[in-house]
Amino acid sequence: MLEATNITVKYGARPAVSGVSLSLAPSEVTTIIGPNGAGKSTMLRTLNGGIAPAAGQITLDGRSLNSYSRRAIAKRIAVVAQEADLRFPVTVFEFVLGGRYAWASSAGWGWETSHDVEVARQVLKETQLEELSDRLMTELSGGERQRAVLARALATEAGILLLDEPTANLDLAHQAMILSLVRKRCDSHGTSALVVTHDINLAAEFSNHVLLMKEGRSIAVGSPDEVLTPSLLKQVFAVDVLVDAHPVSGVPRITPVHEAFR
Amino acid sequence: MVTVIPKKTISWGSHVTPGKTLVICGALFGLLLLVIVLMSLLGSEKLPAQASVCALLTLGKAGCGLTPDQSAILLDIRLPRILLGAAVGGSLAVAGASYQSLLRNPLAEPYLLGISNGAAVGTMIALVFMGTHEWSRPLMAFSGALIATLLVYRLAQGRTGATPERLILAGVIVTTFLSSAIVFVTTLMDATRIRSFTFWLLGDLSGTTAKLLWLALFIAVAGTIVLAAHARSLNLLMLGERDAFDLGVEVSRVRLVVFIVASLLVGSSVASSGSVGYVGLVVPHLVRLSLGSDNRITVPAAAICGAIFVVVADTLARTIIAPRELPVGAITALIGAPLFVYLLRRH
Repeated sequence: MLEATNITVKYGARPAVSGVSLSLAPSEVTTIIGPNGAGKSTMLRTLNGGIAPAAGQITLDGRSLNSYSRRAIAKRIAVVAQEADLRFPVTVFEFVLGGRYAWASSAGWGWETSHDVEVARQVLKETQLEELSDRLMTELSGGERQRAVLARALATEAGILLLDEPTANLDLAHQAMILSLVRKRCDSHGTSALVVTHDINLAAEFSNHVLLMKEGRSIAVGSPDEVLTPSLLKQVFAVDVLVDAHPVSGVPRITPVHEAFR
Repeated sequence: MVTVIPKKTISWGSHVTPGKTLVICGALFGLLLLVIVLMSLLGSEKLPAQASVCALLTLGKAGCGLTPDQSAILLDIRLPRILLGAAVGGSLAVAGASYQSLLRNPLAEPYLLGISNGAAVGTMIALVFMGTHEWSRPLMAFSGALIATLLVYRLAQGRTGATPERLILAGVIVTTFLSSAIVFVTTLMDATRIRSFTFWLLGDLSGTTAKLLWLALFIAVAGTIVLAAHARSLNLLMLGERDAFDLGVEVSRVRLVVFIVASLLVGSSVASSGSVGYVGLVVPHLVRLSLGSDNRITVPAAAICGAIFVVVADTLARTIIAPRELPVGAITALIGAPLFVYLLRRH
């Protein structure tokens, strides 16, 4: 259970996040939505200690996040960043094994145990990468590489997943695939996930809660039904949208209404 | 055309294990010993092979049939020089491999980043102003290397982190600045010493003392062990500082360890033999090409291969125009510079 209360983050004097609260419960997917520069990624990086908040409290399983060591946090919170920039050839298997780092008996020195190898193989199966495990990361397609990044995060066996625009640069099929893998993980392992995304429809489809952010502030929090309304979205994005029900799943479906068509 | 990407033909889900590392490093170490013995037989003075091998294996204790002169050439001149070459090569290769992983830059190299020059300035200041203290040279070399490292690192950090090109440019700035510092210190020396200093600057393994040799060997071995102990952290740093942080690496601590240990390695090499360039570029690159990028194997293998590389290069340096000698740095640069151009273009 990760809880953030009244988080304020400043870059110099400029506040990037002001007084945002958030809590991630087991088996639930929470999505942060907002325009560019709303402080979404900053919020996400603050939650695993990557950025120190200027004010506010973050607690992990009831204890202050600051009281955990780097490795202890890494065992509990995994981050899926946007595509990695690779300059050295590593295989998919080596890459995914990197997720087991925090479990080594001592810092730095250490070899993967047979359990580590087993976990890595398991997540490779889960993400349907097992056939690619001896390929080099640089040889993969964008969708495959992003799955490998997700696989590495899953290999940490962390109970909390933070995903920073995991579907940016992916095609339609791979976008849905990444998020349904996350959704499945949450349902089967009781994992909580926080997803920063620009894709409102994917958020509506896969999340339990949506946090709407603008200029560093939290505008609304709640279920997709409550938050993804024309008035709130207009307030945040300054764009008129049409919201109806998805014909198959019934979740809110958001369609921008461009001036030209009115 | 050189094959860039190592071909992986190993089974499903292969990764580096302790056993694999031991076997490979053991084999390479055997090769190093063989190279040391073979190279000590080569030189302007022809030595009888069998008697020399016997003398090397017994360290001259048993009567192997060498004349006292031959024994002196083998054990007092060639062997120390070869061991120094091994220490210097190992040190520079390990320093290069670590800088490359830490800075996420296949082009990072002590010589190209100006770190060797930093150590050279330190050594020269020690020679000119603290000539009587033998330890002042490695100590000042280490300080110079560390200062140059921090300087390059600071200069290379842009708003979006350090790109490979930016790092190399920062290296050029530091290198040229320190080169003028070297010229400045040289003017403070008397004319008779300048020639030998110029030779030393280009990398020269001939003029060391027993103490410096032992120091260089000790630092090479200890430094390799310390950096190999951080190899798993370096593996993650190689893929990005932020990723490494997220996965549990204490990034600033590891960075400090690498900066200090690599500076010690470069400092002790430069103090004893000047700036032998490109070793830290050529050797880790070839090791990665053939063994993969896992630092748990790259670091120890680079140490041994670096030793082999410099010992062979120095044998060339002292034999091809015998009885005169080339600086070993000229040989390593002759091999390294074209590789650098190739790597830069591929980037």
